[in-house]
Amino acid sequence: MAEKEIDQLLVERVQRGDKHAFDLLVSKYQRKLGRLISRFVRDPAEAEDVTQDAFIKAYRALPGFRGDSAFYTWLYRIGINTAKNHLLANKRRPPTSTPFDAEESESFEDAGLLHEVSTPENELMSKQVVDVVQASLQQLPEDLRSALTLREIEGLSYEEIASVMNCPIGTVRSRIFRAREAVAENLRPLLETSKGNRW
Amino acid sequence: MRQEISALMDGELFDDEAEALFDGVRRDQDAHQDWAIYHLIGDALRQPEHIHCDLSARVSERMQDEPVVMAPRARASTQRLRNIALSAAASLVAVAVVSWMSLQISPEVAPQLAMKQPALSPASARIQPKSNDYLMAHHEFSPSSEMNGGASYIRTVSYYPEEK
Repeated sequence: MAEKEIDQLLVERVQRGDKHAFDLLVSKYQRKLGRLISRFVRDPAEAEDVTQDAFIKAYRALPGFRGDSAFYTWLYRIGINTAKNHLLANKRRPPTSTPFDAEESESFEDAGLLHEVSTPENELMSKQVVDVVQASLQQLPEDLRSALTLREIEGLSYEEIASVMNCPIGTVRSRIFRAREAVAENLRPLLETSKGNRW
Repeated sequence: MRQEISALMDGELFDDEAEALFDGVRRDQDAHQDWAIYHLIGDALRQPEHIHCDLSARVSERMQDEPVVMAPRARASTQRLRNIALSAAASLVAVAVVSWMSLQISPEVAPQLAMKQPALSPASARIQPKSNDYLMAHHEFSPSSEMNGGASYIRTVSYYPEEK
Protein backbone atom coordinates (compact mmCIF):
# COMPACT_ATOMS: atom_id res chain seq x y z
CA MET A 1 0.00 0.00 0.00
CA ALA A 2 1.62 3.22 -1.15
CA GLU A 3 1.50 6.51 0.69
CA LYS A 4 -1.09 7.75 -1.77
CA GLU A 5 -3.32 4.84 -0.83
CA ILE A 6 -2.98 5.53 2.90
CA ASP A 7 -4.10 9.10 2.26
CA GLN A 8 -6.96 7.82 0.11
CA LEU A 9 -8.16 5.60 2.95
CA LEU A 10 -8.16 8.59 5.28
CA VAL A 11 -9.88 10.79 2.68
CA GLU A 12 -12.63 8.19 2.23
CA ARG A 13 -13.10 8.09 5.99
CA VAL A 14 -13.50 11.87 6.08
CA GLN A 15 -15.94 11.63 3.19
CA ARG A 16 -17.97 9.19 5.29
CA GLY A 17 -18.18 11.75 8.08
CA ASP A 18 -15.11 10.86 10.17
CA LYS A 19 -13.60 14.19 11.25
CA HIS A 20 -10.90 12.43 13.26
CA ALA A 21 -9.41 11.03 10.06
CA PHE A 22 -8.87 14.60 8.90
CA ASP A 23 -6.91 15.31 12.10
CA LEU A 24 -4.52 12.53 11.08
CA LEU A 25 -4.03 14.14 7.69
CA VAL A 26 -3.37 17.49 9.37
CA SER A 27 -0.78 15.90 11.68
CA LYS A 28 0.89 14.37 8.68
CA TYR A 29 0.96 17.34 6.31
CA GLN A 30 1.00 20.46 8.49
CA ARG A 31 4.76 21.04 8.29
CA LYS A 32 5.02 20.31 4.58
CA LEU A 33 2.11 22.61 3.83
CA GLY A 34 3.41 25.26 6.24
CA ARG A 35 6.79 25.14 4.59
CA LEU A 36 5.20 25.63 1.17
CA ILE A 37 3.00 28.52 2.30
CA SER A 38 5.92 30.28 3.99
CA ARG A 39 7.38 30.78 0.54
CA PHE A 40 4.46 33.08 -0.23
CA VAL A 41 3.55 34.52 3.16
CA ARG A 42 6.72 35.66 4.85
CA ASP A 43 5.34 36.58 8.24
CA PRO A 44 5.35 33.37 10.33
CA ALA A 45 2.20 34.17 12.29
CA GLU A 46 0.35 34.97 9.07
CA ALA A 47 1.76 31.85 7.44
CA GLU A 48 0.38 29.74 10.27
CA ASP A 49 -3.04 31.34 9.89
CA VAL A 50 -2.99 30.77 6.15
CA THR A 51 -1.96 27.15 6.70
CA GLN A 52 -4.92 26.66 9.00
CA ASP A 53 -7.21 28.34 6.46
CA ALA A 54 -5.89 26.05 3.74
CA PHE A 55 -6.70 22.97 5.83
CA ILE A 56 -10.22 24.22 6.54
CA LYS A 57 -10.76 24.93 2.84
CA ALA A 58 -9.47 21.47 2.01
CA TYR A 59 -11.86 19.94 4.53
CA ARG A 60 -14.81 21.79 3.02
CA ALA A 61 -13.78 20.77 -0.49
CA LEU A 62 -13.14 17.12 0.35
CA PRO A 63 -16.58 15.86 -0.75
CA GLY A 64 -15.58 16.90 -4.26
CA PHE A 65 -12.16 15.26 -4.14
CA ARG A 66 -12.34 12.33 -6.54
CA GLY A 67 -8.86 10.92 -6.10
CA ASP A 68 -7.77 11.70 -9.68
CA SER A 69 -4.58 13.19 -8.26
CA ALA A 70 -2.73 12.41 -5.05
CA PHE A 71 -4.24 14.02 -1.96
CA TYR A 72 -1.05 15.94 -1.15
CA THR A 73 -0.87 17.42 -4.66
CA TRP A 74 -4.47 18.55 -4.30
CA LEU A 75 -3.79 19.91 -0.80
CA TYR A 76 -0.68 21.80 -1.91
CA ARG A 77 -2.66 23.39 -4.73
CA ILE A 78 -5.24 24.61 -2.22
CA GLY A 79 -2.39 25.89 -0.05
CA ILE A 80 -0.85 27.87 -2.91
CA ASN A 81 -4.20 29.38 -3.91
CA THR A 82 -5.01 30.26 -0.31
CA ALA A 83 -1.64 31.97 0.11
CA LYS A 84 -2.01 33.92 -3.13
CA ASN A 85 -5.54 35.00 -2.23
CA HIS A 86 -4.33 36.07 1.19
CA LEU A 87 -1.67 38.27 -0.36
CA LEU A 88 -4.10 39.75 -2.88
CA ALA A 89 -6.64 40.47 -0.15
CA ASN A 90 -3.92 42.36 1.69
CA LYS A 91 -2.95 44.20 -1.49
CA ARG A 92 0.35 42.43 -1.73
CA ARG A 93 1.62 40.70 -4.82
CA PRO A 94 2.36 37.02 -4.65
CA PRO A 95 5.97 36.25 -5.58
CA THR A 96 6.18 35.65 -9.29
CA SER A 97 9.92 35.61 -9.78
CA THR A 98 10.15 31.91 -8.95
CA PRO A 99 7.41 30.04 -10.78
CA PHE A 100 6.17 27.33 -8.53
CA ASP A 101 3.34 24.85 -8.53
CA ALA A 102 2.03 22.01 -6.41
CA GLU A 103 3.89 19.28 -8.28
CA GLU A 104 7.21 21.09 -7.92
CA SER A 105 6.63 21.54 -4.22
CA GLU A 106 6.92 17.78 -3.74
CA SER A 107 10.53 17.82 -4.82
CA PHE A 108 11.49 21.24 -3.55
CA GLU A 109 14.59 20.81 -1.46
CA ASP A 110 16.49 24.06 -1.62
CA ALA A 111 16.21 25.34 1.93
CA GLY A 112 18.33 28.33 1.04
CA LEU A 113 15.49 29.76 -1.01
CA LEU A 114 13.11 29.62 1.90
CA HIS A 115 12.50 32.89 3.56
CA GLU A 116 11.60 32.07 7.11
CA VAL A 117 11.30 34.48 9.94
CA SER A 118 10.38 32.88 13.19
CA THR A 119 9.67 34.20 16.63
CA PRO A 120 12.49 33.59 19.12
CA GLU A 121 10.34 31.12 21.05
CA ASN A 122 9.40 29.10 18.02
CA GLU A 123 12.91 29.20 16.73
CA LEU A 124 14.26 27.88 20.00
CA MET A 125 11.68 25.14 20.16
CA SER A 126 12.31 24.15 16.55
CA LYS A 127 16.00 23.95 17.24
CA GLN A 128 15.45 21.84 20.34
CA VAL A 129 13.22 19.38 18.50
CA VAL A 130 15.70 19.02 15.67
CA ASP A 131 18.61 18.69 18.09
CA VAL A 132 16.87 15.97 20.10
CA VAL A 133 15.99 14.06 16.93
CA GLN A 134 19.51 14.31 15.55
CA ALA A 135 21.18 13.43 18.87
CA SER A 136 18.83 10.47 19.38
CA LEU A 137 19.59 9.25 15.90
CA GLN A 138 23.31 9.37 16.54
CA GLN A 139 22.91 7.39 19.76
CA LEU A 140 21.09 4.56 18.02
CA PRO A 141 22.86 1.31 17.21
CA GLU A 142 24.15 1.26 13.66
CA ASP A 143 21.52 -1.15 12.31
CA LEU A 144 18.62 0.89 13.70
CA ARG A 145 20.09 4.19 12.52
CA SER A 146 20.67 2.86 9.02
CA ALA A 147 17.17 1.42 8.76
CA LEU A 148 15.51 4.68 9.85
CA THR A 149 17.73 6.82 7.64
CA LEU A 150 17.11 4.67 4.58
CA ARG A 151 13.40 4.90 5.20
CA GLU A 152 12.92 8.55 6.19
CA ILE A 153 15.62 10.30 4.22
CA GLU A 154 16.19 8.02 1.25
CA GLY A 155 12.55 6.99 1.03
CA LEU A 156 13.26 3.30 0.42
CA SER A 157 10.57 0.66 0.90
CA TYR A 158 10.98 -2.10 3.48
CA GLU A 159 11.76 -4.54 0.68
CA GLU A 160 14.52 -2.31 -0.66
CA ILE A 161 15.95 -1.74 2.81
CA ALA A 162 15.92 -5.50 3.43
CA SER A 163 17.91 -5.94 0.24
CA VAL A 164 20.41 -3.21 1.17
CA MET A 165 20.85 -4.44 4.75
CA ASN A 166 20.69 -8.10 3.78
CA CYS A 167 18.05 -9.06 6.33
CA PRO A 168 14.39 -10.16 6.32
CA ILE A 169 11.61 -7.60 5.86
CA GLY A 170 10.28 -8.41 9.34
CA THR A 171 13.63 -7.35 10.78
CA VAL A 172 13.49 -4.07 8.86
CA ARG A 173 10.02 -3.41 10.20
CA SER A 174 11.20 -4.08 13.74
CA ARG A 175 14.36 -1.97 13.41
CA ILE A 176 12.51 1.04 12.03
CA PHE A 177 9.92 0.85 14.77
CA ARG A 178 12.55 0.54 17.51
CA ALA A 179 14.49 3.45 16.06
CA ARG A 180 11.40 5.66 15.91
CA GLU A 181 10.39 4.70 19.40
CA ALA A 182 13.85 5.44 20.79
CA VAL A 183 13.78 8.92 19.26
CA ALA A 184 10.17 9.46 20.37
CA GLU A 185 11.07 8.54 23.94
CA ASN A 186 13.52 11.43 24.01
CA LEU A 187 11.09 13.80 22.32
CA ARG A 188 8.06 13.21 24.51
CA PRO A 189 9.38 15.06 27.60
CA LEU A 190 10.22 18.06 25.44
CA LEU A 191 6.79 18.07 23.81
CA GLU A 192 5.11 17.66 27.20
CA THR A 193 6.77 20.83 28.49
CA SER A 194 5.27 22.88 25.67
CA LYS A 195 1.68 21.74 26.04
CA GLY A 196 0.38 25.25 25.47
CA ASN A 197 2.25 25.30 22.19
CA ARG A 198 1.78 21.74 21.04
CA TRP A 199 4.14 20.17 18.57
CA MET B 1 -0.22 -0.63 18.46
CA ARG B 2 2.85 1.59 18.01
CA GLN B 3 4.62 -0.90 15.79
CA GLU B 4 1.54 -1.12 13.55
CA ILE B 5 1.39 2.68 13.36
CA SER B 6 5.03 2.74 12.32
CA ALA B 7 4.39 0.16 9.61
CA LEU B 8 1.19 1.91 8.51
CA MET B 9 2.85 5.26 7.91
CA ASP B 10 5.44 3.46 5.77
CA GLY B 11 2.71 1.88 3.67
CA GLU B 12 3.51 -1.63 4.85
CA LEU B 13 0.06 -2.75 5.97
CA PHE B 14 -2.76 -4.23 3.90
CA ASP B 15 -5.94 -2.22 3.41
CA ASP B 16 -7.98 -4.17 5.96
CA GLU B 17 -5.20 -3.93 8.57
CA ALA B 18 -4.94 -0.19 7.94
CA GLU B 19 -8.69 0.28 8.32
CA ALA B 20 -8.69 -1.65 11.60
CA LEU B 21 -5.76 0.40 12.87
CA PHE B 22 -7.41 3.70 11.95
CA ASP B 23 -10.41 2.57 13.98
CA GLY B 24 -8.07 1.92 16.89
CA VAL B 25 -6.29 5.26 16.55
CA ARG B 26 -9.65 7.00 16.50
CA ARG B 27 -10.47 5.59 19.92
CA ASP B 28 -7.03 6.08 21.45
CA GLN B 29 -5.68 9.61 21.92
CA ASP B 30 -2.22 8.28 22.77
CA ALA B 31 -2.11 6.41 19.49
CA HIS B 32 -2.99 9.64 17.69
CA GLN B 33 -0.11 11.31 19.50
CA ASP B 34 2.24 8.49 18.44
CA TRP B 35 1.16 9.03 14.83
CA ALA B 36 1.91 12.76 15.19
CA ILE B 37 5.32 12.23 16.85
CA TYR B 38 6.49 9.67 14.30
CA HIS B 39 5.61 12.12 11.53
CA LEU B 40 7.39 14.91 13.39
CA ILE B 41 10.53 12.73 13.55
CA GLY B 42 10.38 12.13 9.80
CA ASP B 43 9.89 15.83 9.07
CA ALA B 44 12.73 16.80 11.46
CA LEU B 45 15.05 14.47 9.57
CA ARG B 46 13.95 15.57 6.10
CA GLN B 47 13.37 19.30 6.58
CA PRO B 48 15.04 20.36 9.82
CA GLU B 49 14.89 23.99 8.71
CA HIS B 50 11.12 24.05 8.91
CA ILE B 51 9.79 22.58 12.12
CA HIS B 52 7.09 24.71 13.61
CA CYS B 53 4.64 24.27 16.46
CA ASP B 54 1.74 21.89 16.06
CA LEU B 55 -1.18 23.40 14.17
CA SER B 56 -3.37 20.33 14.39
CA ALA B 57 -4.96 21.35 17.71
CA ARG B 58 -5.92 24.73 16.32
CA VAL B 59 -7.21 23.28 13.07
CA SER B 60 -9.17 20.70 15.05
CA GLU B 61 -10.64 23.46 17.20
CA ARG B 62 -11.75 25.39 14.14
CA MET B 63 -13.24 22.27 12.68
CA GLN B 64 -15.63 21.99 15.60
CA ASP B 65 -17.68 24.67 13.84
CA GLU B 66 -17.55 22.90 10.50
CA PRO B 67 -20.40 20.64 9.46
CA VAL B 68 -19.58 16.99 8.94
CA VAL B 69 -18.77 16.47 5.28
CA MET B 70 -20.36 13.57 3.51
CA ALA B 71 -19.65 12.36 0.02
CA PRO B 72 -20.98 9.54 -2.15
CA ARG B 73 -19.44 6.17 -1.41
CA ALA B 74 -15.87 5.80 -2.52
CA ARG B 75 -15.81 5.81 -6.26
CA ALA B 76 -12.78 3.64 -6.58
CA SER B 77 -14.30 0.60 -4.93
CA THR B 78 -17.69 1.18 -6.54
CA GLN B 79 -16.09 1.49 -9.95
CA ARG B 80 -14.08 -1.68 -9.34
CA LEU B 81 -17.21 -3.62 -8.41
CA ARG B 82 -19.05 -2.26 -11.43
CA ASN B 83 -16.22 -3.34 -13.73
CA ILE B 84 -16.22 -6.84 -12.27
CA ALA B 85 -20.01 -7.09 -12.64
CA LEU B 86 -19.88 -5.87 -16.25
CA SER B 87 -17.10 -8.33 -17.10
CA ALA B 88 -19.06 -11.20 -15.57
CA ALA B 89 -22.23 -10.17 -17.41
CA ALA B 90 -20.34 -9.91 -20.72
CA SER B 91 -18.87 -13.38 -20.20
CA LEU B 92 -22.31 -14.84 -19.47
CA VAL B 93 -23.78 -13.24 -22.57
CA ALA B 94 -20.91 -14.58 -24.69
CA VAL B 95 -21.39 -18.10 -23.33
CA ALA B 96 -25.15 -17.87 -23.92
CA VAL B 97 -24.69 -16.73 -27.53
CA VAL B 98 -22.20 -19.48 -28.31
CA SER B 99 -24.48 -22.07 -26.71
CA TRP B 100 -27.47 -20.83 -28.68
CA MET B 101 -25.53 -20.90 -31.94
CA SER B 102 -24.33 -24.42 -31.34
CA LEU B 103 -27.90 -25.54 -30.75
CA GLN B 104 -28.91 -24.26 -34.19
CA ILE B 105 -27.14 -27.24 -35.76
CA SER B 106 -29.16 -30.35 -34.99
CA PRO B 107 -27.24 -32.68 -32.72
CA GLU B 108 -27.25 -35.61 -35.19
CA VAL B 109 -25.78 -33.56 -38.05
CA ALA B 110 -22.48 -32.83 -36.45
CA PRO B 111 -21.33 -36.47 -36.18
CA GLN B 112 -22.44 -37.09 -39.78
CA LEU B 113 -20.44 -34.16 -41.02
CA ALA B 114 -17.47 -35.26 -39.07
CA MET B 115 -17.62 -38.67 -40.69
CA LYS B 116 -18.42 -37.58 -44.23
CA GLN B 117 -16.24 -34.58 -44.78
CA PRO B 118 -12.94 -36.45 -45.00
CA ALA B 119 -14.45 -38.76 -47.64
CA LEU B 120 -15.69 -35.81 -49.70
CA SER B 121 -12.46 -33.95 -49.84
CA PRO B 122 -10.50 -36.34 -52.07
CA ALA B 123 -13.52 -36.70 -54.37
CA SER B 124 -13.86 -32.95 -54.78
CA ALA B 125 -10.22 -32.73 -55.71
CA ARG B 126 -10.82 -34.97 -58.73
CA ILE B 127 -13.89 -33.11 -60.01
CA GLN B 128 -13.31 -31.22 -63.24
CA PRO B 129 -14.90 -27.81 -63.95
CA LYS B 130 -17.05 -29.34 -66.66
CA SER B 131 -18.82 -31.38 -63.99
CA ASN B 132 -20.33 -28.28 -62.40
CA ASP B 133 -23.53 -28.31 -64.43
CA TYR B 134 -24.11 -31.90 -63.43
CA LEU B 135 -23.48 -31.15 -59.77
CA MET B 136 -25.76 -28.10 -59.82
CA ALA B 137 -28.58 -30.13 -61.31
CA HIS B 138 -28.24 -32.91 -58.77
CA HIS B 139 -27.07 -31.08 -55.71
CA GLU B 140 -30.21 -32.02 -53.78
CA PHE B 141 -28.94 -35.59 -53.86
CA SER B 142 -25.64 -34.52 -52.45
CA PRO B 143 -24.96 -35.58 -48.85
CA SER B 144 -24.39 -31.95 -48.03
CA SER B 145 -28.06 -31.21 -48.63
CA GLU B 146 -28.65 -32.42 -45.09
CA MET B 147 -26.96 -29.27 -43.88
CA ASN B 148 -29.13 -26.42 -42.78
CA GLY B 149 -29.32 -22.99 -44.33
CA GLY B 150 -27.00 -21.97 -47.15
CA ALA B 151 -24.16 -24.28 -46.20
CA SER B 152 -25.02 -26.67 -49.03
CA TYR B 153 -23.89 -24.05 -51.56
CA ILE B 154 -20.48 -23.53 -50.09
CA ARG B 155 -18.84 -26.23 -52.21
CA THR B 156 -20.44 -24.98 -55.43
CA VAL B 157 -19.32 -21.43 -54.83
CA SER B 158 -15.78 -22.55 -54.18
CA TYR B 159 -15.53 -23.95 -57.76
CA TYR B 160 -16.18 -20.67 -59.61
CA PRO B 161 -12.58 -19.45 -59.64
CA GLU B 162 -11.40 -22.67 -61.26
CA GLU B 163 -14.05 -22.33 -63.99
CA LYS B 164 -12.51 -19.06 -65.15
